[in-house]
Amino acid sequence: MSLWTNLTGGLRAMFRKQEAELEMDEELRAWLEAAAAQKIRSGMSPAEARRSAMADMGSMESVKEEIRAAGWESGIEALGRDVRFSIRLLKKAPFFTAVVVLTLALGIGANTAIFSLIDAMLLRSLPVRNAEELVEVSHASFTNPLWEQVRAQQDVFSGVFAWSTDRFNLSPSGMVSYASGLWVSGDFFRTLGLKPAAGRLLTDADDRRGCANRAVLSYGYWEQHYGGSGGAIGSTILLDGHPFQVIGVAPAGFFGMDVGWKFDVSIPICASAVFDGQQSRLDRRSWWWLRVAGRRKAGIGMAQVKARLAALSPTIFGAVVPTNWDVESQKRFRQRVLAPAPAATGLSGLRAQYEQPLRVLMAVVGLVLLIASANIASLQTARAAARGREMAMRLALGASRARLARQLITECVLLSMAGAFLGLWFARWGNTILLRYLSTVHNTVFLDFSPDGRVLGFTTAVAVLTALLFGVGPAWWGTRIPLTSAIKETHASDRGIRGRLRLWIVGSQVALSLVLLVTAGLLLRSFRNLATLDPGFDRDHVLLVSVTLPRANERAEAVYDEIERRLRALPGVTGAGRSWNTPLSHVEWNTNIVSDAAHAPQGDDALAYFNFVSGDYFDTLRMRLLAGRNFNAGDTTSSMAVAVINETLARRFFPGLDAIGRTFRVEGEARKLEAPVQVVGVVKDAKYESLREDTLATVFRPISQMDETGASNFEVRTKLSQAAMADAIRDTAAGVSRDTSIEIHTLAAQVDDAMSRERLLAALAGFFGGLALVLAMIGLYGTLSYLVTQRRVEFGIRMALGAPAQSILGLVMRDVALLLLGGIAAGTGLALAATRWLGSILFGLGPQDSATLAASAGLLAAVSLTAGYLAARRAAKLDPISALRHD
Amino acid sequence: MGERGGALVQGTLDMLILKTLALEPLHGYGIAQRIEQVSGGVFRVNPGSLFPAFRRLERAGYIKPMWRASENNRRAKYYALTAGGQKQLRSEAEEWSRQSAAIASILEAS
Repeated sequence: MSLWTNLTGGLRAMFRKQEAELEMDEELRAWLEAAAAQKIRSGMSPAEARRSAMADMGSMESVKEEIRAAGWESGIEALGRDVRFSIRLLKKAPFFTAVVVLTLALGIGANTAIFSLIDAMLLRSLPVRNAEELVEVSHASFTNPLWEQVRAQQDVFSGVFAWSTDRFNLSPSGMVSYASGLWVSGDFFRTLGLKPAAGRLLTDADDRRGCANRAVLSYGYWEQHYGGSGGAIGSTILLDGHPFQVIGVAPAGFFGMDVGWKFDVSIPICASAVFDGQQSRLDRRSWWWLRVAGRRKAGIGMAQVKARLAALSPTIFGAVVPTNWDVESQKRFRQRVLAPAPAATGLSGLRAQYEQPLRVLMAVVGLVLLIASANIASLQTARAAARGREMAMRLALGASRARLARQLITECVLLSMAGAFLGLWFARWGNTILLRYLSTVHNTVFLDFSPDGRVLGFTTAVAVLTALLFGVGPAWWGTRIPLTSAIKETHASDRGIRGRLRLWIVGSQVALSLVLLVTAGLLLRSFRNLATLDPGFDRDHVLLVSVTLPRANERAEAVYDEIERRLRALPGVTGAGRSWNTPLSHVEWNTNIVSDAAHAPQGDDALAYFNFVSGDYFDTLRMRLLAGRNFNAGDTTSSMAVAVINETLARRFFPGLDAIGRTFRVEGEARKLEAPVQVVGVVKDAKYESLREDTLATVFRPISQMDETGASNFEVRTKLSQAAMADAIRDTAAGVSRDTSIEIHTLAAQVDDAMSRERLLAALAGFFGGLALVLAMIGLYGTLSYLVTQRRVEFGIRMALGAPAQSILGLVMRDVALLLLGGIAAGTGLALAATRWLGSILFGLGPQDSATLAASAGLLAAVSLTAGYLAARRAAKLDPISALRHD
Repeated sequence: MGERGGALVQGTLDMLILKTLALEPLHGYGIAQRIEQVSGGVFRVNPGSLFPAFRRLERAGYIKPMWRASENNRRAKYYALTAGGQKQLRSEAEEWSRQSAAIASILEAS
C-alpha cells in the first residue's frame, strides 16, 4: 500500500510538475499568511508581521528544495538536470573534454583488451551444453587402445569421447595449404550436445573400424570456403591426398576443445587407418595422440569420478601394456592412475605459457589507468579552482554542497562513460593486434573475443571506479570553499589545499611511472637478451623447406638426395643441407646413451637429443666443426655407425677426454643397447628446442645411416627473399618427383616464434611504460604551470624587488626536485616489491636488476626535470608589472 | 535553519505530526501551532523540516491531503490521518514509551 502511494505520488509529481509546484507555492503562502495573522493578533503591525514571518521561514526556495528532496522523483529529476547541465558545461570546454575522454579511452581500452584476453584464454566456458559437467580424463595423452579401454570400462560418464588436433594438407601437390584438423571419436558431438548448422554431425556409427571417409566442417570454414551454401554437403574434400565426403557443418561458435585454436575440418578417429597404411595407429600401444573427456552422469560428483577412475585404472592399463617396453617400464605402466580434471573451459597449451604474463600485463594496464585517472583528477581540480567563483555563487544562492558535488560527479561519470565506449572500440582493435603477436608461423592462434557479460561488466566497473577515483577528490575539494574569499577570488586563495593535493597526485604519478618503467625496462632487456643470444647457428638468410611425398615411396631417400643436390645448384643459393629436424621446431627425439668413458652420466641423467643430418647441414647453418671430421660419402649403412656431437655432450659424456674416436651406445626399444656409435667430430653448441634451454647434449647422425626415411627438411642458404625463391624451390621439387608438397618459411621466423611470449610482453610493457611516462609528464607540467600561475603575484613582487629570473627559476625547480626525489624514493620501494612477480618470466637478468632501476629512474628524472623546466621558464619570463596588475 | 526552542529528538517529528492529526485534520501552520502549544513552547518546528515531513508521510500513505477553506476562508491544504497512519502512530507511540521508560529507569538508577 505505502509502496503504491509512494510510486503514484512520485509519478504524479513528475508528470504533473506544474500542478505540484503550484500546490507547494500555495501551501507555503498559506503558511506565511497564517503566521503573519498570528503575529498581528499578538500586536505587530501588518508590515512587520509579514517581514517577521518571512524571516522565520528563511529562504522559500531552499524550503521548496527540501520538500522536493523528500520524494524519490526529485532524485531522477535532479539527475536529468545534472546530466543536461554537465553536457552543456563539457561542450563549453571541448579541449578539456577531448583530452579527458581520450586519456580514459586509452586507459579503459587497455584494461578491457587485456581482460578480454584473460577472459577468452582462461575464464570463458566452452560454447557447448552445460560445459560445467565436462571432465577431462587426465593423462599426458592416450593411445587408441588405451582410449578404447576407457570407453569400454567407464561408468561415471553419460558420454565420453576422445579427440586430437592435427593439420591436413588440402592441396594435391605444390605449395601446401593446411587446414586445422580435429580427430574425434563417435560420441564427440553428441556428448557435447551440439546441433549441426547444416547436414549432420559425426555419430557413433561413423567411428567404426573400416569406416567410410566422412568429414564435418566448422562453421567458419564452411562460410569462408563454401559461402555457407548447402551445396557443400555431399561434396568431397582432399585431406593429405585422401578424399573425404562432407556430411555436415558444426554449429557457429564451436571451435573444438582447445582454447587458442580452432578446427576447420573434423574426421573420425577410425579414418586414421587410411593415413597410416599398414602401421595403423589404431592398434599401436605406444602412439600417444589422443585426449579424453566425458560428461558426468547426473548426480555424480568429481570425488566419485576420481574414485571410480582410480579403481578402474589397473584393469584399463593392464589391458594395453606396450609390449615392446622393458619389464620395469611395463610394471610402472600398470601402476598408472587416471584422474579427472574440470574441463568446462576447455584445454589449452597457451595457459601455462601465458597465465603469469597476463597477470603482469593486467597489473601494468591497471597502473596506466591509475596514472591516467590521476591526470584527470589533477585537471578536474584545476577546473574546480577555475570554477571557484561559480561554485561559491551557487553555494551562496542556497545550493547545498552535496548538490554541487553530485553535479561534479555526474560530470565525471559522463566523461568516464564516453571514455569506456571509445575504450571498448580501442580494445577490439587491440585484441586483433594481440592475436597477431600470439600467433606463430606454425600456429595461428584463435580466441573468441566476442564481448560477453563478464567483459562488459568489467569495463563498466572499471569506468565507474575510475569516475569515482578522479571525481570524488575534486568534488570534495571543489565544493569546500570559503565563500567570501572565493567570491572575491584573491590570487592567494588557492595555494593551500588544492595545490598540495595536486602535488601529491603528481608525486604518486611519478612513483607509479617508475614502477612501470622498471617493469618495462626489465621485460625489454629480457627480450633483448633472448633476441641477441647466439643460438649456435646463423639464423639469417636461411629458408626452411619441408617436402612431403604423396605416399610411402621406396625411392624416397634417392628423391630427397636429388632435391638437396638440385637446391644447392639453384642460382642465388650458397648452401643447402637436409635434416630430420630443424632447430627450435619443437620437435624432439631423445633417448639415453651410454658413453664408453669413465664417470659419464648414467640412467636418466644420460639423456641425449638426436638429429639426422646431411654433411652440408653444418655448413649451411654455419655451425662450426671444432674437432674431427664432417660426414662424408664413406658413411653408409654398411660402414661403422658414426656421429658428430656437440660440445656439451663431449664435455659431459667424455669428461676430460678427447671425444674423437670414442664410442657410445644408444638405448633402443625396451632399453636394449644398440651397436656402438663412433664419435668422428665435435660441433659448436647450438639450441635444440628452445632459446631458454641450457644447451642440450646433442647427437648428430648421418642421414645415410638412418633406418627410416623421413629426413625431409631442407635448409637453403640464400641472400634472396622467400618470395623470390618460392617458385624456383617448388619447381625443383616437382622436377625430381611430381606431386610433392612443399612448405617454406624462414629460419629467422622460426627463431622469432621461440620468443613470441617475450616479444609480446616487451612490446606491451614498453608501450604502456612510454604511455605512463607521457601521462605523468603531462600531469607534472600541468600542475607546475598551474602552481606558477597561482604564485604569479608573489613572483612579480620578488622580481620587482630585484630578484633575478634565475632565482625564480630556482624556486620552481627546487619544488620539482623535491617532488621528484619523493616520487622516485617511493617508486623504487614499490618497484622492488612489484617486480618480484616477474621472476621466472625474465631471461638473463634478475627482477631486482640495479642497472634497469637506475636507468629507469634516470630517464624519469631527465624527463621530469625537462617538464619542470618548461613550466619554470614561464615563471621566470614573467613581466612583473603585468603580474602585479592582475586582479 | 536550526530548530529554535527545544531541538526535537531525532525521528520524533513524524510521530508528533501523526499524533496532532489524530484529533482532527489541520493545515501546515495549524500543525506547527498545535505542537508548540501542547508542548508548552518547548518544541517549535519550522517549515523547512515540517513540509518535507508532510511529503514523506503522504508518500508513505500515513496522511492524506485535502483542500478545504481555512479560518479566513482561503483555500488551504489540510492533512488528515489515514488508517495506516493510525496504526503507525500506535506502534511508534508504543515504541517511544517503551524506550523512554527504559531511559528513565537508567537515569534513576544510581
